[in-house]
Amino acid sequence: MERYEAKRAVIIGGTSGMGLATAKMLLDGGARVLVTGRSQAGLESAQKELAKGGVVVSSDARSLTDIDALAARVKAEFGAFDLLFVNAGFGLFAPLENTTEAIYDEMFNLNAKGAFFAVQKLAPLINRGGSVVLTTSVANVKGMPGLAAYGAAKAALRSFARVFAAELLPREIRVNAVTPGPIDTPILNKAFPAKDVAAQVTEQMRGLNPMKRLGTSEEVAKAVLFLAFDATFTTGAELPVDGGWSQL
Amino acid sequence: MGRLQGKVAVITGGTSGIGLATAKAFLREGARVVVVGRDQKKVDQAKDLLGERAVAVRADVANLDELDALYARVRDEFQRIDVLFANAGIPGAPLPVDKMTSEAFDAVYATNVRGTFFTVQKALPLLATGASVILTTSIANDFGRANVSAYASSKAAVRSLAQSFAAELIGRGVRVNAISPGGTDTGIIAKRFSPEQVKVVMERLKTTLPLKRLAQPEEIANVAVFLASDESSYVLGAELVADGGVSRFTSVF
Ligand SMILES: NC(=O)c1ccc[n+]([C@@H]2O[C@H](COP(=O)([O-])OP(=O)(O)OC[C@H]3O[C@@H](n4cnc5c(N)ncnc54)[C@H](OP(=O)(O)O)[C@@H]3O)[C@@H](O)[C@H]2O)c1
Ligand SMILES: NC(=O)c1ccc[n+]([C@@H]2O[C@H](COP(=O)([O-])OP(=O)(O)OC[C@H]3O[C@@H](n4cnc5c(N)ncnc54)[C@H](OP(=O)(O)O)[C@@H]3O)[C@@H](O)[C@H]2O)c1
Repeated sequence: MERYEAKRAVIIGGTSGMGLATAKMLLDGGARVLVTGRSQAGLESAQKELAKGGVVVSSDARSLTDIDALAARVKAEFGAFDLLFVNAGFGLFAPLENTTEAIYDEMFNLNAKGAFFAVQKLAPLINRGGSVVLTTSVANVKGMPGLAAYGAAKAALRSFARVFAAELLPREIRVNAVTPGPIDTPILNKAFPAKDVAAQVTEQMRGLNPMKRLGTSEEVAKAVLFLAFDATFTTGAELPVDGGWSQL
Repeated sequence: MGRLQGKVAVITGGTSGIGLATAKAFLREGARVVVVGRDQKKVDQAKDLLGERAVAVRADVANLDELDALYARVRDEFQRIDVLFANAGIPGAPLPVDKMTSEAFDAVYATNVRGTFFTVQKALPLLATGASVILTTSIANDFGRANVSAYASSKAAVRSLAQSFAAELIGRGVRVNAISPGGTDTGIIAKRFSPEQVKVVMERLKTTLPLKRLAQPEEIANVAVFLASDESSYVLGAELVADGGVSRFTSVF
């Protein structure tokens, strides 16, 4: 029997990077997967990458209307499901003095508020014994210049994981957070469109990391699937996948 | 193919409870396993239970000569170690601070802290590049609870060792992490209490624990498999909590 046979998973922010890697691993393991994304390019490339049977849905993770529509779509597609991976997120770099209200709101709307309502609307469809995984960031535990709003929004998300874990416990749904350090995904080029800047930042992160390398999307995906299906006595917890960055 | 195919694993405290369940899980995932405990009878029983692909060795991790003998045996038989699960630990007698004796205190530290330290130090010459070292802490190191000051603090020290060792050993390509179990059904309660008391304790646990049950040792073994395998290749110096949520939230407001 395949490892994830008969499992059904919904990945919010699953058209690129770690979300996409998780979707692929699930499909390879025999699961059914529905992923969301927003950009047309991302949706189209995911369609190709997940041709094996993934459902790709256009849905803005910040929009409550879209989240409602997504819940209806998931219900139609799967009825009930086993894993909700809330992974859509992005960090805008801005030092305190340059952080506009728009940047601040964008960080909290995408990384915290959208995730909150995604769990609110989708949790009723999760099977007993199922699981929720939220993607936070090392920035929620380590102060990083330029990432005050992003780090705080991810800290809010980390806090949601604890309370959701308590509230969903009666339905035997576990809720945990995966905390990536620097991971080699397309996010870097989105955050730093100038190639030389992206390369410079990558080099810096590599140097600062105890493992002297960036992690891969697959390394995060494996941790997500561990939390989702193997860590049956773990709930409300946080699993850092960061090469030791936040730990040493 | 097993998730630990071809790996050589040493598990201290592998003759009962969490360690024994982990030995079974490692074997199932394709590893060869050496389990270690102090009591010869339990060592023999573990050997019978685990079968051909396992080796069971009697050694006290608090005794450095016995650790040397253990690793000499591992070297002769396997030449290397890919996974070291330093899991031997004792709770010690529950004693309030004023009743603690230096003997009782030292006994807990000798196995839990000193034992863990030298279990890792003496394994170094055998640890393969890419090896994974896993230390067992306890959720007790996150809490203040009465009567377990020696045990809880010893596990806080082990949590710290996981971080220091991780920093020191990553240069050799060795990862170090910790598992922090919550209450786990390893027969500890049955061993310590009478059958009537066991019922009472179990009832109390059901009302106080968020998941309303103890962990099964196999659930902690699952965490060990993840940390032992290459699936956790970017996880370093971390402490994975498997406590049913006890330390992370209250289930009643
Ligand atoms: N990579 C890192 O170093 C790192 C470190 C720490 C934490 N993280 C976190 O990890 C998560 C995944 O990041 P990644 O590196 O895999 O990034 P990625 O490659 O950019 O993937 C992000 C995914 O989220 C989707 N997404 C973003 N905004 C969305 C929105 N408003 N509505 C719907 N979907 C949206 C993206 O789709 P579109 O492209 O269509 O927007 C994409 O599918 C994020 O939460 C990020 O904050 C990343
Ligand atoms: N069960 C729980 O609720 C719980 C919760 C948190 C943490 N833990 C930790 O998990 C680990 C395993 O505990 P367990 O519950 O599985 O206990 P267990 O069933 O009593 O097993 C302990 C194992 O450690 C061995 N051991 C103890 N002292 C040793 C020494 N000095 N040298 C070599 N081996 C030694 C024991 O063998 P001998 O008796 O033959 O020496 C046995 O194999 C311990 O570190 C414990 O502190 C347990």
